[in-house]
Amino acid sequence: MANLTRFNLRDKGAEIWAGWSRPVRTVFVLAFIVLIGLMPFAASWGPTSFLNTPITSFQNVLVYPVGMFIMMALGLNIVVGKSGLLDLGYVAFFAIGAYSQGILSTLYGWNTWEVMPFGIGFAMLAGVILGLPALRLRGDYLAIITLGFGEIVRIVAINLSVTGGPNGIPGIPNPPSVFGLHFDLMHPETFFWLVFAMILLVIWMVRRFTIRRPGRAWEAIRQDEDVAALMGVNTLVYKLWSFVIGAAVGGAAGVLYASKVMVISPDMFKFDVSILILACVVFGGIGNIWGVVLGAGILAYMPERIRFISDARQLVFGLVLIIMMNMRPDGLLPRKKREKITEKGAK
Amino acid sequence: MNFSVITSQFWSLVLQGLALGLIYALVSLGYTMVYGVLRLINFANSEVFMIGTFATLYLEVHVLGYATNSPSLHGAKLVWTLVLVFIGSMIACALLAMLVEIVAYRRLRARGANRLASLISAIGVSIALLEGMRIITISRPMTTPRLLDKWSFGEFHGANFRIDTLMAIVVPIIIFVVLDRFVTKSRLGKSIRAVSMSEENSKLMGININRVITLTFCIGGLTTGAAAFIYTTVYENTVFNVGFNMGIAAFTAAVLGGIGNLRGAFYGGIALGMLEQFASAMLGSQWKAVTVFTVLVVVLLFKPNGLFGEAVQQTRT
Amino acid sequence: MNKKIVSGLAIAAAATLALGVVATSPASAAAKTSVSLAFEGPLTGPDAQLGQDQIPGAIYAIALYNAKNPKVKVNLVKADSQCDGTVAANVAPGVAANKAVIGVIGTSCSGEARASFPAFKAAGLTMIAPSASAVSLTNPKAPDRGFPVFHRVVAHDGFQAPALARYAAKGVASPKFYIIDDMTTYGGPLAKGSIPQAKKLGDVVGTDSVPKGTADYTSVASKVKASGANVVIYGGYTTDAAKLFKALRDGGYKGILASGDGTNTSDFPALAGSAAEGVRLTAADVPFDSILSKAQLAEFTKITGIKVPGLYSTTAYNATNIFLDCITKGATTRSAIQLCVTNGSWTGAGGETIKFDRYGDIIGGAPVGGYLVKNGVIIYDSVA
Repeated sequence: MANLTRFNLRDKGAEIWAGWSRPVRTVFVLAFIVLIGLMPFAASWGPTSFLNTPITSFQNVLVYPVGMFIMMALGLNIVVGKSGLLDLGYVAFFAIGAYSQGILSTLYGWNTWEVMPFGIGFAMLAGVILGLPALRLRGDYLAIITLGFGEIVRIVAINLSVTGGPNGIPGIPNPPSVFGLHFDLMHPETFFWLVFAMILLVIWMVRRFTIRRPGRAWEAIRQDEDVAALMGVNTLVYKLWSFVIGAAVGGAAGVLYASKVMVISPDMFKFDVSILILACVVFGGIGNIWGVVLGAGILAYMPERIRFISDARQLVFGLVLIIMMNMRPDGLLPRKKREKITEKGAK
Repeated sequence: MNFSVITSQFWSLVLQGLALGLIYALVSLGYTMVYGVLRLINFANSEVFMIGTFATLYLEVHVLGYATNSPSLHGAKLVWTLVLVFIGSMIACALLAMLVEIVAYRRLRARGANRLASLISAIGVSIALLEGMRIITISRPMTTPRLLDKWSFGEFHGANFRIDTLMAIVVPIIIFVVLDRFVTKSRLGKSIRAVSMSEENSKLMGININRVITLTFCIGGLTTGAAAFIYTTVYENTVFNVGFNMGIAAFTAAVLGGIGNLRGAFYGGIALGMLEQFASAMLGSQWKAVTVFTVLVVVLLFKPNGLFGEAVQQTRT
Repeated sequence: MNKKIVSGLAIAAAATLALGVVATSPASAAAKTSVSLAFEGPLTGPDAQLGQDQIPGAIYAIALYNAKNPKVKVNLVKADSQCDGTVAANVAPGVAANKAVIGVIGTSCSGEARASFPAFKAAGLTMIAPSASAVSLTNPKAPDRGFPVFHRVVAHDGFQAPALARYAAKGVASPKFYIIDDMTTYGGPLAKGSIPQAKKLGDVVGTDSVPKGTADYTSVASKVKASGANVVIYGGYTTDAAKLFKALRDGGYKGILASGDGTNTSDFPALAGSAAEGVRLTAADVPFDSILSKAQLAEFTKITGIKVPGLYSTTAYNATNIFLDCITKGATTRSAIQLCVTNGSWTGAGGETIKFDRYGDIIGGAPVGGYLVKNGVIIYDSVA
């Protein structure tokens, strides 16, 4: 038991990785990407058909919630995991991205690729507007402000006419085809590849940030904000950066999401989504990219897989959260040992 | 923006704001007490409240056997029935809150786990309770008998001094006074304050930390149970997801007043209750939540530890 | 029951080609001994009550059907879409991919319906909705219309909203309306849709939107009282209507209270207590327990475990029966079902004729009934 709960696959994995030469690594990564790319067909291939989800469509589940949750969890991980800021309103950025796509495409006829930079831009702008006042606050005060922000975005969407009020926006077009890949309802697998590509992009981005100056600043802030400030780190600027980059990822996910489901309404962007994404981050292993990916994958996929138990599905979900957190409080794949610290004020 | 309501309904809004705000204040104790000691947001408290409303309903309907259309009670029978249900609801919530501590927090705390791990396990408890109750009640709302007839003492400039409104104001005030004395004067109360200032030093002083934490959850549960009883008696119905809005409101009240601080919860609750009433009257109810959070942001910008947060500042180092 | 049988496999197959509808498995259809119907609606989550109230109607209808030992047995697939477009967007393709499913009873919410259309249209899977009442779903010009798969056995809000205003103000000399909604996809359009009619009948002295799940309605009550309104219309669901009406009565409001079918549930009189007396309700749905005989109600309870049928269990029952009737007539493929549902004509549980127009609404509109609460019971009053 003790072995099971203390075993850190992440450290073990890093050890193996370090032992490999460059070509071996490249082959491994490529093989891995191809394998994931084949995922949409797993449900219809004999040996992996147990993965199939009853009632819901497996390929669609892979796009949303699985793919989208992984992407958003990675975005939230920059905020919560890297710089230690508790954000309970992450869904706001997702909503802003989705509504950008909804409004710009239905009113002005822009396609997804044209909207994408704007959706990301609006989300980042919202991140700055929210972040400037909110990030001056410590810890749990930030939590309630972000929670409030998430609710405000949803309520404003209900109250305005440009967002279609409580009905939302119907008739959002799918993304236009690229390289002969069609993005429509009959091709959820191409959507999955698109989301997968975005996820890889986010992972690459996060890894670059982590090993450079911002990553070190975030790490310092997370460990002890006062000391970091004393050492000359401009804490507000770096906190704002992590917040805004997280927002950008959420916005991008929102744009993709809206063009996938074609209909959006305010009730898709409730507080529950923020909580679920946060649960994905912590469940998988806060601060560790691979843990977050695994956690989000499992938490998004599990409720769909156990749909056959119908009514009790959400109850089981709650119990799994309790049990897993008690067994592995640092998540499935915790961050590196040396990165673990007791946070200030925590006991 | 409708300013005329301020003149025409001022006292009515103040009275209702007080009644609602003090219910918030009682529930927010479930957040603030725990936060003071553990530095954790007790996310399951909203569902403790929900269970409290159902405990009240269960006691009235199934234990005492009143049908939903039973006539109202009077005199001594009314008093002892309400007191009995009140105590029952408080005990049920206190037991549940302590159970939540054992299930969601204790093991994690013993291992010195990340704060967020406890947050998520508390959310897990919250989801499990919510969905469990949903399955039991087949998602149906339920109603309680009107045991307390809503007679009025009279009106004052449009404010209606109804018995249930007054109960929702007087009972929480009594609870707060008692609790305030308990925390500042009694030995156990002092140990709670000691732990919230410094856990290590408290340990050195020979305080049993686990006992103090259990006690904190117990007190939070008791006040949340009291709030659930008052809520159910005033509004006379409940549903499995009743805790969600109440939880967010109470948490907001706690932060507004200064989380971790008993008096902060009291004043934060009142401030929030007033704010909600006046915002709905002046701007329309659809902007209520937006107004509340905007005010919250502004308050926190100028007073980063909430309206009454000085005491927290001391405990934070 | 007046029936107009237009089915049979040969016609269906021909129609499939003619209409260009995708049929999933016509080849194996002849040998089918069991098919499935899917119920798509909220069964968990915050809006679970809606679906949990409806699905017993479907379970009851199917149990009665299967008890007769028909050639083709029918199973019910529960597709929980949580009244959430996001979830529905996933559930619908999954339901469509299940080859056994030949018809969908659903959806409960309009938002779910919109998100489900793309998948069901592609699969040629017919929907009959018990309660999705947004006008645009059957509007030929709306981008989110459900043609040709969508049908509903419920009057849309375009009928119900003006009827609600008319019925609320019935017998009032100079009505002064106060119109309140719950900011949901259902309550918002219903309340706002009643405003034009209300303006024709009298004055609208105030409006408010109070989010569903609000605990305290006292400030709304004092506003209403201060406005001098004598007719209050609420667009929203039972729980909140009960809270609002109680607050209004306890706050000394003496005028008329009215609400739509979201409130017209057997739970309502009990929840609102004395405040329920005299409340005027409209519904495109007739309460199921008012239709069933004592023996039938006992059987309903035995089959579903539900004592009092909830809101829209009648329409769910009607929707299910339309499918079952088509299956009895030999329509066991998606295309045959579509043809049968589009062209057939049935008698609903309340005795009304059900026949769909091209875009899926009942021809002539489903009747909107006016109901009164008297002595704690909702009784039918007149056509609203």
